[in-house]
Amino acid sequence: MHQSTIRLLREMAGICLVAVAIGLVWNHQLLYNAWTGNAPSTAPVAASAPPDQSGQAQQAVPVPLPLGLMQVKEFHDRKEAVIVDARDETAFAAGHITGAVSFPLGEADGRLADFAKRYPPTTLLVVYCNGYACHDSHDLANKLLAAGYPTVFVFEGGFPEWQAAGYPVMEGNQ
Amino acid sequence: MTSTAGKHLSTIVRVVLGLVFLYAGILKIADPVAFAGNIAAYRILPYFGNYLVAATLPWLEAICGLLLVIGWRARTAALITCILNGVFIVALASTILRGLDIDCGCFQQGGDKTSAWSAMGRDIVLIAMALTLLRKDRQRSP
Repeated sequence: MHQSTIRLLREMAGICLVAVAIGLVWNHQLLYNAWTGNAPSTAPVAASAPPDQSGQAQQAVPVPLPLGLMQVKEFHDRKEAVIVDARDETAFAAGHITGAVSFPLGEADGRLADFAKRYPPTTLLVVYCNGYACHDSHDLANKLLAAGYPTVFVFEGGFPEWQAAGYPVMEGNQ
Repeated sequence: MTSTAGKHLSTIVRVVLGLVFLYAGILKIADPVAFAGNIAAYRILPYFGNYLVAATLPWLEAICGLLLVIGWRARTAALITCILNGVFIVALASTILRGLDIDCGCFQQGGDKTSAWSAMGRDIVLIAMALTLLRKDRQRSP
């Protein structure tokens, strides 16, 4: 009985070790990016370097996590997150997620200080733009992560997916 | 006759449980970043912890599923699945207690939403299946 228990525990440990080893090797690049992005010593470098011009600075920025439509809707309805629209103001005025804040990627550097005054670093942010083919949300999320916001999600489906789902949208600059 | 039926039933339970875990594991292996996002929605782990679990947990699920399907070290795999489902239930219960209404992220990442209550019900069924295998195996042991 005792012997069989020890054998069972040994086998469990073996299976877990094999699974962890394969998982680490298989996802080593992803884990490396996540780890280097999270390293506190790299944060000041990331915050001061223009993310679009330096590949090294990009690596130092934490990777924003993708968020699905349902989860964004939950955050939106419960007002648990600030929804950030990364598109330009014309696109925002033509239609945006109700309650979203306009923060165009092209004006991000100039507006970041003002944004930081309005929303403390503990704010949960969800950034979106024009769907899967649009990378502005990722770029803006990287800037926000580098600016010291630890929890930044990217809604990859963006405005097209939100609108297609029939969820609340509004026009104008408010 | 009863013994033969019981053996067949045990085999069916083992293979079904194995296929469920194999399927769940493969879907998550295919999209670890999306799975990390789903783990992050639980708001339990730190930033890197979400990625670490997303990188390794699906492989544990897939390996246990495979072992159950082929019937090699099935008792050990059943025990691991039992523990995993116990952990999942605790995590899901914590989302209910904290008022988080999130997708469980159990299978297809970014697919239809499964509530915490439904996922917990499913996990309890999977635990019952694993315990059945463990009990059968124990009865067969001298």
